[in-house]
Amino acid sequence: MPRLVKTVTEMEGRFEEKWVLVEEDGIVSWDPAAELAVVGKPAARQTGPQRVSGIARYTVDVALPGMLHAAVLRSPVAHGRVTALQIDAALAVTGVRAVLGPETELSFKQRSGPLYGEPDYAGAPIAVVAADTLVAAKAGVRALALEIDPLPFVVDIQAAFRDQRIDGDPFEDARGDVDAALAAAEVSVELQVETPGQLQTPIEPHAAVAWWKPDELICWIGTQGIFDARDELTRRFNVPKERVRVIAEYIGGGFGGKQNAGFEALMAVELSKRTGRPVRLVLDRHGEQLDGGARPATHQTVRLGAGRDGLLTAIDAEALVEYGMAGWRAVTTPAMTLYRCANARGMEANVRLDVRRGNAFRAPAVMEGITALEQAMDELAIELEIDPLDLRRRNFTDRDQSADLPYTSNAVLYCYDRVAELAGWADRDQLHVPQDDGLLRGMGCATQIWWGGGGPPSHATCRIGGDGVAVVTIGVQDIGTGSLTTARMVAAEELGLPLDRVLVVGGDTGPNIYGPVAGGSQTTPSVMPAVRGAAAAVKHKLLALAADVFEAAVDDLELADGHFRTKDGGLDQPYTEVTMKLGQASIDGSGMRGPNPDGFRANTFGCQIAQVAVDPGTGEVFVEGIWAVHDIGRVINPLGASSQVEGGILQGMAYGLSEERLFDRTTGVPVNATLDDYKVPTMMDTPPITVEFAPVPDVKLNTVGAKGLGEPPIIPTAAAIANAFRHATGVRPVALPLTPARVLELLA
Amino acid sequence: MRVTLSVNGERHELELAPLARLADVLRDELGLVGTKIGCGEGACGACAVLLDGRSVNACLIYAAAAEGHELETIEGISRAGLTPLQEAFVASDAVQCGFCTSGQIVTATALLRDNPAPDSEQVRRAMSGNICRCGCYVKIERAILTFAGGDA
Repeated sequence: MPRLVKTVTEMEGRFEEKWVLVEEDGIVSWDPAAELAVVGKPAARQTGPQRVSGIARYTVDVALPGMLHAAVLRSPVAHGRVTALQIDAALAVTGVRAVLGPETELSFKQRSGPLYGEPDYAGAPIAVVAADTLVAAKAGVRALALEIDPLPFVVDIQAAFRDQRIDGDPFEDARGDVDAALAAAEVSVELQVETPGQLQTPIEPHAAVAWWKPDELICWIGTQGIFDARDELTRRFNVPKERVRVIAEYIGGGFGGKQNAGFEALMAVELSKRTGRPVRLVLDRHGEQLDGGARPATHQTVRLGAGRDGLLTAIDAEALVEYGMAGWRAVTTPAMTLYRCANARGMEANVRLDVRRGNAFRAPAVMEGITALEQAMDELAIELEIDPLDLRRRNFTDRDQSADLPYTSNAVLYCYDRVAELAGWADRDQLHVPQDDGLLRGMGCATQIWWGGGGPPSHATCRIGGDGVAVVTIGVQDIGTGSLTTARMVAAEELGLPLDRVLVVGGDTGPNIYGPVAGGSQTTPSVMPAVRGAAAAVKHKLLALAADVFEAAVDDLELADGHFRTKDGGLDQPYTEVTMKLGQASIDGSGMRGPNPDGFRANTFGCQIAQVAVDPGTGEVFVEGIWAVHDIGRVINPLGASSQVEGGILQGMAYGLSEERLFDRTTGVPVNATLDDYKVPTMMDTPPITVEFAPVPDVKLNTVGAKGLGEPPIIPTAAAIANAFRHATGVRPVALPLTPARVLELLA
Repeated sequence: MRVTLSVNGERHELELAPLARLADVLRDELGLVGTKIGCGEGACGACAVLLDGRSVNACLIYAAAAEGHELETIEGISRAGLTPLQEAFVASDAVQCGFCTSGQIVTATALLRDNPAPDSEQVRRAMSGNICRCGCYVKIERAILTFAGGDA
């Protein structure tokens, strides 16, 4: 029987107690010692063939008869007031069918935007034009002949802070007496660190196609959360839920920046509603880099106090954030939680600037915080003359220090030992022996912490019919993380069928099987237990049918690797002997994610080591190797998981070395909002990367023993590189990224 | 203006604006949407197609300028089913979101036709104009070297 119970759910560190529907399925987490048939073995992606052959259809590829194309007019200034906009002239352009401007009465209202009469960042949308062709839409944008009066702007965080331009209330969290503990500390360090603004830069820009039909609204959106998008459209356009369908079959990267319906879908729906025609809106690259979102830059100060034995006695972390997400404070969370310490304080102020407000970018805020905290730990280790990894081991805790709750699992000590072994950490000072190439070499480490336990609600269904193919439906889209493949493996494992007899479908709200947004590293730990439940329900029924067919006792039957067998081995028949008798009939099962365990925190952990070589002549920093060992519970697909880690590391490496949103301080306009000047890594920049995972399933957390992996790998890379730079040169970076210009300045 | 294009071995006579970009014509006029546009300014390689066997960014070429040349897109490469190179991409997990993958396959195909046994350095140089934001480079390099019987 289903029940409603109260449970605590978590999404990127925001905890919420809520009612959730649960149905006891009696499934317990797989035994860590059990040999599983499919789970834990490398599997290629279910949609691999589509993705390598150009057949996969992304939102930008959706073309419908009569479809209009939309183009966006954006603010050329950081702050200004629109004084004239020739809407009629734009409407007069051949092929233009609709124009929306700041004065247009839209179907919905937002607190700011979506179209700005007084834009407060460069790139803010002012108007949208829909036309028969994209060429005509762009001509319409030009015909608007924007006139705008520039207004004073602020893009400098220190100046804005002096003016007390604070967004919302500053945040403070504290325990113990930090000031007294710092004053009394045998050893203390203070470190100031600047971290850069970083752009998600998905190669498929934000895109939507909307079709407002008399009886239904269909929207193709490149979104990480089809149900969030559906609910947003339902709410804003006041359409019943069952009349809105959001489809995201393939998404060309998200990295946090594609949440909800987004500006593009809201505008496409509004335009389709007005014109009665399907409308496609795709950001161009410049628009994407200006307005797709950003990880906000930070200025941080970390003070640590410790005894001579290396035990932390005080942690004090302050962060100024360059206009980050409203109400989202987690830069100082690692300082408050990661290490055992009785006295800790975190303070954050979100400084309001005339820049595009930050949004989620893979491990939002926590990555920024780790980048500062882990460099401060490195300084403390140097001060104490303790091995940096050993300092971290000494301050290990198996309890969340902020919530004072135990973790469901924490294998970070394993990660420290194993990554040290892989990287040859013990011999790292040998890197200081001068080489013929004149490069300065060093090795550094950093710890990773993130949530990633997931939670309810998450649902799945499974259906198998006469063809013997089990079709699993889930409510999440595969943004490139391989979630469909992970679900396929879990279902195959539970059903006892070969992988190719299972097909997973997702990315469509039509079936109304709910799944959470792909964020917070919650997909695997939330969705996979639901998939396992649905598969178990179908297997239960299959065994009953097999008992009929083979005239055997249900309890005596097993289904494994596609065969029904009796325990004594007397019967061994392909499962299709049963399913083929279903003909056109089918059997169904459903599953849902159960509640989280009471009284625990679920977190992922890990450690990365970087080796760098610094050219003191040119200021170049070459990464010669990254070694990563993460604790994410049970690894369902080691092949896909290693890809996730490699990708996260490359984005983290670039945060440390090359990626930075740059503003022209005299105009407030970003100067590198293109792929030429915003430096994302290429294959030439890719160092050797070694990836392993702690072999420790999290049996307390859920029925598959898995935690999430989207966020963890990006988190410690830049800090590890900065620490390696310090080891190589003896100089502590004050600001990232370590571009050649900054390096030459540091070494001068 | 009237333009005749030869794409994947088929002739197309098209009436086009003089400045129509090849990438747009392939996608919008011919429906070959496997060619993706990531930046539209030659910086990402998602729109790579083969022009007389060379990998070029279709967003930087006027369609009219491609007249008289043989064009091959990801659809042409895949026409007889997955090539061994594409199989190697799938098996090596050299694909995450897949949006850049058409361009990666096109550029790698051009490389391997020129040089069937590239070493790691040659692969990295040849592929450096194709951005993969998901960061599949380790696996892409491995897939190409595996296919080439190299040192992966």
